[in-house]
Amino acid sequence: MFAIARTELIQIFRNRLVLVTSFVIPVAISAFFIYRHDVFSQVGSLGYIAAIVMFTVGAFGLYTSTVTTLASRRQNLFLKRLRSTAESDAGILAGLVLPATVIALVQVTGILIVLSAVVGTPDNPLLLAVAVIATVAMMIGLALATAGVTNSPEHAQVTTLPVSLGVIAVASWVGITGTEELAQVKRLLPGGAATELVLNAWNGGAALSDSLILLAPTFAWVFVAVTFARRMFNWEPRR
Amino acid sequence: MSTPVIEVENLNLTYGDFHAVKDLTFEVRPGELYALLGTNGAGKTSTLETIEGHRTPTSGTVRVFGHSPGDRKAVRPRMGIMLQESGFSPDLTVRESVGLIGTLTRRTDDVDRVIDVVDLTRKAGTQVGQLSGGEKRRLDFATAVYGTPELIFLDEPTTGLDIQSRDDLWNAVDRLRENGSTVVLTTHYLEEAQQRADRIGLMHQGVFHHEGTVAELTRTLPSVIRFTLGGPAPALPVQAIVGADGSVLVETFGLQKDLALLLGWAENHGVELRDLSAGPTRLDDVFRAIES
Repeated sequence: MFAIARTELIQIFRNRLVLVTSFVIPVAISAFFIYRHDVFSQVGSLGYIAAIVMFTVGAFGLYTSTVTTLASRRQNLFLKRLRSTAESDAGILAGLVLPATVIALVQVTGILIVLSAVVGTPDNPLLLAVAVIATVAMMIGLALATAGVTNSPEHAQVTTLPVSLGVIAVASWVGITGTEELAQVKRLLPGGAATELVLNAWNGGAALSDSLILLAPTFAWVFVAVTFARRMFNWEPRR
Repeated sequence: MSTPVIEVENLNLTYGDFHAVKDLTFEVRPGELYALLGTNGAGKTSTLETIEGHRTPTSGTVRVFGHSPGDRKAVRPRMGIMLQESGFSPDLTVRESVGLIGTLTRRTDDVDRVIDVVDLTRKAGTQVGQLSGGEKRRLDFATAVYGTPELIFLDEPTTGLDIQSRDDLWNAVDRLRENGSTVVLTTHYLEEAQQRADRIGLMHQGVFHHEGTVAELTRTLPSVIRFTLGGPAPALPVQAIVGADGSVLVETFGLQKDLALLLGWAENHGVELRDLSAGPTRLDDVFRAIES
């Protein structure tokens, strides 16, 4: 697994297009949100800024790059090559996904530390960390599922749009309007419960037990996505 | 008798309504070079990929070293696979690619030694995307033979290689066989299989049309004598097909006897046998016979 992860990391840094679109642009967008925090905190709250930067990195840095990577490795038969070795399927997938995941976690952590330095620390940092990890797990699950219906890196530009734009839209909807109305609908949408968790962790004012229960919809999405991926994921290009 | 390296029993593979492989049964013995040949769509790639563990049989059993081919931890460290298509990441260098696949096979070897075996030392730091087709085939071969596995699958190994590279590859295969490796080969270059295979499985429409040594396969078809007559000649001493242009084709199961008769006849009558050639039946002829 780690040998695969190491070579994936090498490839990320050698491919400038992937490096810029998946890792530099999300950071630039997040920097803009922090720079204009006075405006965005009035639109939503400081928790909303934290949620939107987390999902920007999760959607464009982690989710999109993971789907593109898996589609690309499948298309050029690299997945088949890896399956010709003694490595297990789980080890292969973990190795392929690990670098983007670590980079995303480092990015989100760094961005949230900068946000804390600018606007003040979150009410419950531990809960925030749990929310970030749950979101990363959900985005990886969704990436594996999307990779199952993605034929090529070019096709990924289309197949990733619904989820990447969808979670950003849900995070904005929940972050700006809160969950006083249509609470169940918002929490069941992908990213809705995770956004509310981030809002609670950053802004405070909600009981811990009420917040932790919000992990259930997020992990339900992980389960649904992984179940879908197990049925749909192909290791070789469709002939 | 030693335990077979590969055992295939009543293997069936279907894709929807298409029955690609039908009740195939064969075995590959330790140390032999077994060539799996066939016409296009015969089912040899499906069979090979099932033995390699890339496909699951619809029914029947496949055992490699006594294990299911899907048991990667048990089987893969003992086998090297040269795929038909490249399957390397274009952004990794030759050295990184060999190192990665070598590490994942759980075999040990010196990466630079393996790269040298396939004459890619000068390209060791070159990214795979910049290699020629032939260089990629050599890289593929390098990953297959990394750590000198007991069993090596070579799927169209010489396609795209120049003559020197082909000779080098076969010399490397010969050295591996001297060390006891078993080789399973598929190729469209039938003369390579004819020269090198201990046994051949010749597939057609999902079943074995023939299986055995080259001699056993070619024994079923006559040898051939070909020449051209320069002008009018007396009656030939053997049965032959004579073309309007004077070309003569003799099919015989007694090559030496009939050739001697023809040469004597030509000497006695002062007839020149132009472009004379004689030889046993080639695998090409067996293929043509199957397809017709």
